[in-house]
Parts: sequence; C-alpha cells; structure tokens
Amino acid sequence: MIRMFRTTSFVALTLLTISIPLLAHHGGASYDTAKTVTVKGTVTEYIWSNPHVFVKLDGKDETGNTVHWIVEGQNPVSMMAIGWTKNTFKPGDEVEIDAMPAKNGNPVAFLGSASPTAPRRRIVINGKQFQ
Amino acid sequence: MSKCLAFSIGVLLAGITLSPVLGAQTAPPKAAAEETKPDKWNSIPPIKPAYAGKKSAPAPRRDISGVWDAAEADGGRQPSGALEHVALTAPRGQGVEGGQPDETGIMRPLQYTAAGLEALKANKPSGPSVRQVPAAIANDPLDQCDPIGFPRMELYELRTIELAQTANQVIYLNQFYGNFRVIWTDGRELPKDPDPRWNGYSVGKWVDDYTFVVDTVGLNTRSWLDHAGRPHSDALRVEERFHRVDHDNMELTVTIYDPKMYKEPWQGLNKFPLHLQPPDYDMPEFLCSPLDMAEYNRQIGNTVLAPSDKK
Repeated sequence: MIRMFRTTSFVALTLLTISIPLLAHHGGASYDTAKTVTVKGTVTEYIWSNPHVFVKLDGKDETGNTVHWIVEGQNPVSMMAIGWTKNTFKPGDEVEIDAMPAKNGNPVAFLGSASPTAPRRRIVINGKQFQ
Repeated sequence: MSKCLAFSIGVLLAGITLSPVLGAQTAPPKAAAEETKPDKWNSIPPIKPAYAGKKSAPAPRRDISGVWDAAEADGGRQPSGALEHVALTAPRGQGVEGGQPDETGIMRPLQYTAAGLEALKANKPSGPSVRQVPAAIANDPLDQCDPIGFPRMELYELRTIELAQTANQVIYLNQFYGNFRVIWTDGRELPKDPDPRWNGYSVGKWVDDYTFVVDTVGLNTRSWLDHAGRPHSDALRVEERFHRVDHDNMELTVTIYDPKMYKEPWQGLNKFPLHLQPPDYDMPEFLCSPLDMAEYNRQIGNTVLAPSDKK
C-alpha cells in the first residue's frame, strides 16, 4: 500500500513538474495531466508557428463519425531541439499520438513538455515510430 | 567525444529515471537533434549534461560578448514569476494554486506599498501562480503579443541572448520575442525625465575586470515585470550585474528598485547561470505574431476553455 502510494505520488509529482511551465496561453487547468488519450487519424493540416505548433487530424469516434482532432506541442524553437521540423507531418499521413486530453472533453490534446531531458509521448507516423 | 559520451549518459539516465512510471511516454532519443542537423543554421543549445563538469578556460578581461544560453536553469523559463520570488506557496511541482487576489502565503513574499498592491491586483495573470485566473479573464499584455518589455524579457523566458561590444556600446539581442537593447558605455548619464520606452534607457560600466553593471530607467508602465503580473511604476530602475565567472560561464543578477510599488529593492535573478555557446551559434527566430496568436487562441485556446460539447 505504501509502495503504491509512493508510486502514485511520484507519478503525480512528475506530471506536475513537467506540465507546469507549459500552459501559458490557455491557463493551467485546461488539460488532464493524469490521463492519456490515443488520437488516431489522418493529418489534414500541420501548423508550424508560435505560440505552439499543432497538428490537425480527422479520426473516428466509436460510432464511426468523423472527429476533427487537434494535438498541440510547444513553440517551434523548443520542438526543433527535440528533432521536429516543419516537415514532420504532411496532409494524408496516418498517425497515432498519445497525448493529454482537454478536461472539457473537446477533441484537443497536448503533448506536454518538449524539454530535451523529458520523456517523449508516443507518436507513430505511417506505421513508423517517430518518438 | 567525451562531450558526446557525457551527453548520452545524461539522456540515458533521464530516460531510465522517468520512463518506467510514464506508460504513455517513451525515452528520449539518444542522439541530440543537433547531432543530426544538416547544417549550421538554427542552432540548438546543449543540455547541461553535455557540459557539466567540463573545465573552462579563465574569463577574458572586460569581455562579455558572445551567445549565452540559460539551458542549465530550466531553459530560463520562469512561468510562476521571477525565479527568486516565484508566486507559489510551495516549491515548484508541488501543486498549482490560483484565484487569490494577492500573494499571501508565497514562499518569498515581496513587500508591496499600498499603490503596489493595488497595481498588482489589477494585473490578472494566467500563468501558474497563487493569483492565476482562467485565460478567458486574464489581461496579460503578452497574450496579445504586446512587447514583453524590460526586465520581463529576463524574468519570464530568458532563453538565449547574444551580446556584442563596440567602442561605446554593448548590443544586447534577446531571442525571446526578438528584442534588442543598446547599452551605452560612453559615460553618458541616464536621462532625467525620459519618454517611456518598452526596453528603457540603459548605461553600463565595468566595476571590475569581470563584472559589467547596467542601469536602466524610463520603462513603459504597461509592461509587467514577470509572468506573475508584478507591476512597476515610472520610477522603476533596474540593475543588471553580468559577472563572468570563467570563459564559458556567466552569472546574471537582476535587482528591482521601484519605491512607488515596493517597500524595498528585490532580486528577480540572483547569480543566474548563463552558458557560452560556440562562435558559430545561429540563434533561431522566436517571434510573437499577433495573427498567429489569435489563430492559436481561436482553434485551441478557446476550444479547451469552452464548455464541453459532450455532456
């Protein structure tokens, strides 16, 4: 029990540490840092600009309806430092991304820290693991 | 080679430490993005493990020129206010508070005058601090890409700066939102009753062979001092102390003197570490475009704040 508590505390602490500096443009409470959503779909647009890079994709919900997702990263300078470029995604790419979901349930998700020493969230592009 | 090895070990250690508890995340790549870059443009600063413990040559005399990066101290990011006085009740990472009208209970409180406290309450920050408000009601001028101003360019996101010395100036280029300042070293006095400038009027002098001290006045009161919404008046004077420790390392101390707002001077940064980059370092562009910001807020900022479509 104590061990489990320790693990949970560490996970919570780690997530908080990673997420605190990153929510400047929409307040700190917008994303559920403890949850992960796997967003799967076809890229429709990739925006490489400040304040944050983002990729738009069309996926399907459980009843087969199209859902327009947006997944945001950090600013281009920080993304460059972990190997992203303006060519990382292109329209038509089939992608799968693990990210933090918006708390309000809207189809927006966040990749969190782009610190070079932080762990990366899983991204698969056209069947190949990108990070 | 040893640099490469040290970096790899650092990355590996970080990966080992963090990856077992974060199922959705994978370890960072073993090679830095810099190592796979095709050319010398848009340089990427090394992370601390790449240079920690590396012996440096002695500091040159009266010389602070070069590209300096804040990689060691969280990339210079201070989202909860100036590093020496973060507006949090507990060390970073132990919870984000919000909604307070003032800064009661923070770890290292500032001593506000009555006017200072009133001005503080009028500034509504969306950054993570005791006074955080939802982005929809925040009034941070930076959210509209207003100029960041000085000294907020050092007390919010101090990432990379480039300094160049001429016969009578130190030219200061700050990467974050693309700011430049001219620091006069020709012995002139500061202006007596200046028109306000976002980045102020600066004069600098060497107080010893390794310490360059800059005084700045005439600062536009529309800017905030930091991301926690600390205010300033037209009486603000800022002292920067650039102390070159050795060839590769410099410390920056920033002191705020504003008797209209604060009962006593306070330090925003205290011996904050800056690391020298190679002579061919090409600083990437980092600008704030109002149209890009508005588009981002339309598509993302407002969407994550809106009431849920799914009830």
